[in-house]
Amino acid sequence: MGAITHTPAEKTLIDLLDGAEDWRAAARDAVVRFGLPTKRAEAWKWSDLRRASHGIETAGQAEFRLNGATAADRLTIDADAELELAAEAGISVASIEIDIPAGTRVVLKERYSLAEGAFPTARLEITLGEGAELERVVLCDTPENSIPVVRSRVVVAKQAHYRQATLTFGSKLTRNETHITHAGEGAEVELGGVYLLEEGRHADFTSTVTHTGPGGVTHQLLKGAVAAHAQGVFQGKFKVEQAAQQTDAKMTHRALMLDDRAEIDAKPELEIYADDVQCAHGNALGAIDETALFYMRQRGLSEVKARAMLIESFLAEPLDMISDDVLREELAAILRQRLGAIR
Amino acid sequence: MLKINNLHNKVETQDGEEKVILKGLSLEVPAGEVHAIMGPNGSGKSTLSYVLTGRDGYEVTDGEMEFLGEELGELEPEERAAKGLYLSFQYPVEIPGVPTITFLKEALNAQRTARGEEAMSAPDFMKFIREQAKALGVSMDMLKRPVNVGFSGGEKKRMEILQALILQPKFLILDETDSGLDIDALKTVAEGVNTLRSDDRGMLVITHYQRLLDYIKPDVVHVMANGRIVKSGGPELAHELEAEGYDKFIGEAA
Ligand SMILES: Nc1ncnc2c1ncn2[C@@H]1O[C@H](COP(=O)(O)OP(=O)(O)O)[C@@H](O)[C@H]1O
Ligand SMILES: [Mg+2]
Repeated sequence: MGAITHTPAEKTLIDLLDGAEDWRAAARDAVVRFGLPTKRAEAWKWSDLRRASHGIETAGQAEFRLNGATAADRLTIDADAELELAAEAGISVASIEIDIPAGTRVVLKERYSLAEGAFPTARLEITLGEGAELERVVLCDTPENSIPVVRSRVVVAKQAHYRQATLTFGSKLTRNETHITHAGEGAEVELGGVYLLEEGRHADFTSTVTHTGPGGVTHQLLKGAVAAHAQGVFQGKFKVEQAAQQTDAKMTHRALMLDDRAEIDAKPELEIYADDVQCAHGNALGAIDETALFYMRQRGLSEVKARAMLIESFLAEPLDMISDDVLREELAAILRQRLGAIR
Repeated sequence: MLKINNLHNKVETQDGEEKVILKGLSLEVPAGEVHAIMGPNGSGKSTLSYVLTGRDGYEVTDGEMEFLGEELGELEPEERAAKGLYLSFQYPVEIPGVPTITFLKEALNAQRTARGEEAMSAPDFMKFIREQAKALGVSMDMLKRPVNVGFSGGEKKRMEILQALILQPKFLILDETDSGLDIDALKTVAEGVNTLRSDDRGMLVITHYQRLLDYIKPDVVHVMANGRIVKSGGPELAHELEAEGYDKFIGEAA
């Protein structure tokens, strides 16, 4: 294969990672050889990162903060905490490795604080010890011209419980990847997500759950609503290895096209090597119920309000899994506020 | 109060064809009166209710609809509602995820705000809805459930009347409110409707059967066929229809 011509964004990223070690070196090498991913890469076929990054040419700074202070690259969290990904304008890289010790219970509230034009590539490695419980509540409320690419890898030991609830409003391109290794044997994974995309926004939710041990439970529920000229992408995969008998895994994606010019692409996949499992996936796209809309307007609600109520009631369910009342209500309020502006 | 003159409308069917339904309908309901519309299936009764309340897709091609001195044609459904027009749906719609109480509070206050009135406070609203629900035999438990979800046909009709009691509209269109009701439920619902009868309120009661009109006594009965009113008369007309059927009127309309 001949050498590729790098875009300014790619050159900046290559320079930024010059002399780096471990995963950074591997990431640099991939950009040198292939550039940023385009639609031609199967895993990126609906999210052209190379194209989205046009116009972003400088390097910036990004970091993870824990409870307001710069976080160490590796840390142990054994009590409720707030994690923030902060990024300036420009291309940046951030990484954090988090250990949740066996037997502890943690609620991690995660925020993205991105400047206009920020293009952070972030990596999270999370390990749950035996019997640990982690509830990760992620608010991805980012400027329209930012490009957050966040890849989380989560290792869930037996008896552990991992719960993730994500609220995403998209941007020029938002890519949220979650890759879970699920040990089974009493371990449970719940993946909930809501995306609401206003005109011009793009959000890509890509996840894999690999069941490696027997008797694991996974429930995934992603719901979205997409306005005209916005694009929602869901790529979900459950992989059940041969040793993972009696796996119980269910994946559901449901989304509303708020306009004929909305785009939603979904690819739910099951890859099963065990014979005694219960695995299912469902994917359904729909539109606002016009009859309900008329009924509500006949009772005096404005069209905007009636639509907002219908969309909210459609989207709300995945946020119900948030155990903390205050946190759940906070996210619901943010969603409601954003719905007031949706057309 | 409500004046309809020479009303024509059309809808677009699923195969993209135009269908004319109302073909020159005229009708006038003065304040304080209850008028009934009777007519066979497919004569355009529900269509009239949708055209009056402004449903998308029910295009007026000719004629006028005047409510309280104002032409309705240009108003959005919610503007018509705030002016006091209320439709009790033939098939009430289920709205999953939206509790009935929340829905009604939002609707009432949206109407009030549109009219330049003050919103009703949450405690006042709860008191009000509790009283009205009790009168109609609707439990608070039902009100906490999502709008119409899982309700029987009869419960839905009861809820439609409860909503009218909460919203206190100036004009009610009841589209086959009697269908799906047993005789006891019919009496309760009719009582609810009768409490709304007053000198400054009008009603249009659409029904198939004379039965409902034994409980909600109309001042005038209109017979509708093929998109038009073909005959109008006093309450005795309902009995005549019941005894003789619609056939002779349909003959007149064709
Ligand atoms: N949206 C629509 N699209 C196509 N046909 C319709 C539509 N609404 C009503 N119709 C047709 O118009 C006629 C009158 O319907 P409707 O108003 O429901 O009558 P009624 O309530 O008197 O039974 C029927 O033939 C019905 O099928
Ligand atoms: Mg009808």
